[in-house]
Amino acid sequence: MSDELLNILSNSNKDIDNQKLMDYLSNKLSVEEKHEFEKILLDSDLASDAIDGLNEFKNKKDPVAFAEQLNRNLQKQLEKKKGIREKRRFKDITWLYFTIVLIIVIILIAFFVIFKFLG
Amino acid sequence: MKSDKYNHITDAELLQNFYKDRDNKWLGILLPRYTLLLLGVCMKYLKNEEDARDCVQQIFLKVINELHKYKVDYFKSWIYMIAKNHCLMKLRGNKNASVELNEKIIPAVEGQTDKTDLVEKETLLMKMQQAIKQLNPEQQECVNLFYLQKKSYSEVSEITGLTMLQVKSHLQNGKRNLKLLMGIS
Repeated sequence: MSDELLNILSNSNKDIDNQKLMDYLSNKLSVEEKHEFEKILLDSDLASDAIDGLNEFKNKKDPVAFAEQLNRNLQKQLEKKKGIREKRRFKDITWLYFTIVLIIVIILIAFFVIFKFLG
Repeated sequence: MKSDKYNHITDAELLQNFYKDRDNKWLGILLPRYTLLLLGVCMKYLKNEEDARDCVQQIFLKVINELHKYKVDYFKSWIYMIAKNHCLMKLRGNKNASVELNEKIIPAVEGQTDKTDLVEKETLLMKMQQAIKQLNPEQQECVNLFYLQKKSYSEVSEITGLTMLQVKSHLQNGKRNLKLLMGIS
């Protein structure tokens, strides 16, 4: 009892497990698990707001489907950005090589001209 | 839900890796951890499923494009702030206003209230018992049922006749008042 009293003031910074979150919403948790989960909710505004919002979806299975779709879109977005970055990098490297070759050619031409002039 | 092979890597480590090499693959691991939570937050504020989905998409884009500009230590708190600000801006219809994304958040740290640092356990217990008696009757009842008798929100609601929302509110306010009475910030 004394530990419970003192634990009222402690803050739980535990991460929310998505599966547990959905189980809570679907009422699949045991009484003890529910209590432990609700203790985490009390300490996390993010989780508490999320639960309020997820409870408002008409179909309880929709949030998971939507989340999966959003995650797929996210991966596509990141791949796209990666592609653009690699293309830009390739362009930069190509210009660098071109510049180096040009400088070498100019030096060789200069060398040839000077050699011919002196010779 | 699929198990994540990167589960062993913490948010802080992912952030660190991202800042080191600016590789978005780390965001590809970090952001999906929050998709469902963000969906819930956006739904709470926007009250529309389609808008909530769009909002999460926009938040992701914001993070991808701007995270590298800021030194974020506590991603959970930061992204919650981003989500709330984004939703509020949408509700105000002010899509073009930019919100400063600086992080000035002090997170709750586990074990913040270290019993051994404060007073002897017995004295602390006495203070706690006295503090609980100073709460209003509803807060007192909810705190006793939830924390001491380990009831769930729904059980507390059934016993007290209060709604779940009222139970949650009494618990949040009760805990805050107890901290004030105990002299803990």
